[in-house]
Amino acid sequence: MGNSTCLAGDAKLPYCRGCGHGLVVRQLSRALEALNLPPRSMVLTTDIGCVGLADSLFPYLHTVHTTHGRSTAMATGMALAEAVLPATGLKPIVMIGDGGAMIGLLHLVHAAQLNVDITVLVHNNFLFGMTGGQHSAFTPLDWITSTTPEGNRVPPLDLLSLLRMAHAGFLARQFATDSNLGEVIADAIAFPGFSLVEILEICTGYGGLKSEARSQLKTEAPSFPRKRESTGSALRDVVKRQGYSLGRIEAEPPRPSFGTIYRQQIESRNPVPENPSFHSPISSFQFPVSRSQDSKRLHIVIAGTAGEIVQSSAALLCRAALSVGLYSTQKNDNPVTQGSGFSLSEICLSPQPIEYTGMERVDVVIAASQEGWNELQANGTLSQLTSSTLLLLDAELEISHPTGRLIRQPFRRDATPKRAALAAIAFWLGMEPVVPSVAWDAVLASLPVERREDVSAALKVGQDLASRGGACAA
Amino acid sequence: MVAEGALAAGCRFFAGYPITPASEIYEVMMHELVARGGLALSAPDEISSLCYCVGASLRGLKAMTATSGPGWALMSETVQYALMTETPVVIALVQRLGPSTGGATQGAQGDIFLAEFSTSGGYTIPVFAPSNAAECHELTQQAFNWSERLRSPVVLLSDKEVGMTTEPVEETALAKLVPVERTFVDAEAAIAAYDVSRVEDIPGFAPVGGGVKVTATGSAHDRQGRLRKPSPEVVDMLVHLQRKVEAHAAEMALVRSDLDPDASCLLISYGITARAAREAVRLLRNEGFPISFLQLQTLFPVPAEALHWAAAGIRTVFVAEENLTGQYRTVLAHLLNGKRLLGINKIGSMISPCEIVRAIRRAGGTIPRGDWPCTHSSDEAVRPSRKAGV
Repeated sequence: MGNSTCLAGDAKLPYCRGCGHGLVVRQLSRALEALNLPPRSMVLTTDIGCVGLADSLFPYLHTVHTTHGRSTAMATGMALAEAVLPATGLKPIVMIGDGGAMIGLLHLVHAAQLNVDITVLVHNNFLFGMTGGQHSAFTPLDWITSTTPEGNRVPPLDLLSLLRMAHAGFLARQFATDSNLGEVIADAIAFPGFSLVEILEICTGYGGLKSEARSQLKTEAPSFPRKRESTGSALRDVVKRQGYSLGRIEAEPPRPSFGTIYRQQIESRNPVPENPSFHSPISSFQFPVSRSQDSKRLHIVIAGTAGEIVQSSAALLCRAALSVGLYSTQKNDNPVTQGSGFSLSEICLSPQPIEYTGMERVDVVIAASQEGWNELQANGTLSQLTSSTLLLLDAELEISHPTGRLIRQPFRRDATPKRAALAAIAFWLGMEPVVPSVAWDAVLASLPVERREDVSAALKVGQDLASRGGACAA
Repeated sequence: MVAEGALAAGCRFFAGYPITPASEIYEVMMHELVARGGLALSAPDEISSLCYCVGASLRGLKAMTATSGPGWALMSETVQYALMTETPVVIALVQRLGPSTGGATQGAQGDIFLAEFSTSGGYTIPVFAPSNAAECHELTQQAFNWSERLRSPVVLLSDKEVGMTTEPVEETALAKLVPVERTFVDAEAAIAAYDVSRVEDIPGFAPVGGGVKVTATGSAHDRQGRLRKPSPEVVDMLVHLQRKVEAHAAEMALVRSDLDPDASCLLISYGITARAAREAVRLLRNEGFPISFLQLQTLFPVPAEALHWAAAGIRTVFVAEENLTGQYRTVLAHLLNGKRLLGINKIGSMISPCEIVRAIRRAGGTIPRGDWPCTHSSDEAVRPSRKAGV
């Protein structure tokens, strides 16, 4: 009791008489019996459709009945979890129809790519049986269904070829009536990685009929034809017309699953060093702001060109401010693309915690490139300028006459374009020591060694320009 | 800080898909969760992200994903599945300007309805709304704890301005909550999957792969978890999904209040706008205008008791939020009968403290009740979005 992986002994199958689904569950039961796996090491993950009725037939397996098409994705999640759990050898078996395979196609593709250890049994009867025989992406050409009254005109998907391209390791196509189906399913379950068996069936309720056959029937049988005479010949006909291969098809050579690779990766990792902690603030420092309205806050906009280290330079300013006990907020902006066009940062500095992070005025504008300046024009920043706004612009910029205290310096020329933004920041702080120069020492000490040289070089250019008396307004 | 909060709460599984302004959470989890022995991976779409999380949670792992409005739209099917199967999962929803692709780099608080009212049947999904980095850290832990306790999906609702603004946090001041672990059922016990003696009880959890057979389904089910047509027992289970959340509403109600006993006005806000509201309150008080302030950190279940407490003796209630129609104000309306309820609303950029002050001054107690649906004016004109993107 409780240890059987098989169909319940007294199971009355819920499927229509003659439906291939009944054959599949019996063959699955045979396969599980042959594999002799503990029942709790398997989870039957069923999709929406008649195929979803399989849950109750296997009373000792875990069963998860999902939403339409998502059975593969949920099973993938369950299998992935194995990588960080004590290994249980859990094997999800997905029972899905052709409709589920269509709506959940991406989940099948990704499961194959990840090579998660799951087995998918696609019950392909070429249409939606439970909802009344509508056609699917797998319906053969010319088939008449309730939604293709003149015959299907869209060529069906070849699932196995598609998944082969997605690097699936085990792929097979069988008829539900195949006597060896159980062995193929057992092989698929035993396969360590993603395996899929596409099982071809004819829906006994709505099995399709080719349009020419229907026209023959038209005179004598005006009602919608519901059954085929012979499912065997219908299936053989589909396979022939679509050029499908049968049995196990050539697939990728065995490779480790994503979970296996992941487990190895985390096991071989060195312990992570803690984030370098940021030294205590210099508490004696007084925030020397006086010119802005509320005298408690400074709003700085730093604009430049993407790829020229604008936002990272702004972040260094925030770090410097933090090291002297100031609060800061930083917001970055750039176009849809990350590596072209403008790049900009809005910074707020305050000796008190900052609640509202927007700018109702601008105190300092730093523009390190033409693209940055143009963006400030486009985004309305320049319309916020007042006569007390400090404008610190690169000497090369072409500008009209903006409001504010204008200073132009050759940051790009002297420091290089990639150091221009930081040089300009250092220039500003040389001129208005909002943050004392000792703060830069703290910033440098917190940086990885390989970045320090670049940063000090940029800072030096800015500080030198400031000390050479460039601080007079242009 | 959402990612840090998730790690502090014991998150062990993350699946993500890039989307501004939630990508940073995804990137941090890909580094940090991996470094700490959990599993973080990239999914091929947001439907898969949440399905992977639900699958992992069914095996007992605490799981999270992060997205924005467009991604949430794709997830709503699986949110409901998690709700129906009572599978804990946390979704960090970082709002941006909608509808559709909207403004990827513009903040907004326009997804209140989307987050809360997207289940068939209208079930309460707990929603927490942080307003700054430290609250992201704390409320993410709350989200995990309540998700585990209630066996429910929980939403952490921030926005671009909260999620993508860099600000310092005092490490020692960060809230460190005791992580709540879901109650695993005894492997020997042969119990029903959703065995609850009262509808508001929360059933014990059995992981897929464990010794107790799991029967999970997104379909209406009986106590055993078996798909069934509606019967009194099945209806009980459907009622249970709602009552178990409602029963903890008072415990889940997180607010920050700053009340003035002399005030006849109460300003309510949440998320990013609560920061401007707090400054506005300071400015108004400096002018000698008495006003009370209530920041809601729990949006759903609606913290009704806290609201009644804060609104006692108040004649006019303002709700400031960065959306067009006053979504949360609409939610509160029926709880504030007999009071004048006014909205301070705007889209396209953050509502500033001055705008709130102006709106409150303008309302000034002279306008008859019902004549002030919101405070759009020319100086609060909507700035058009210049950008689109993933």
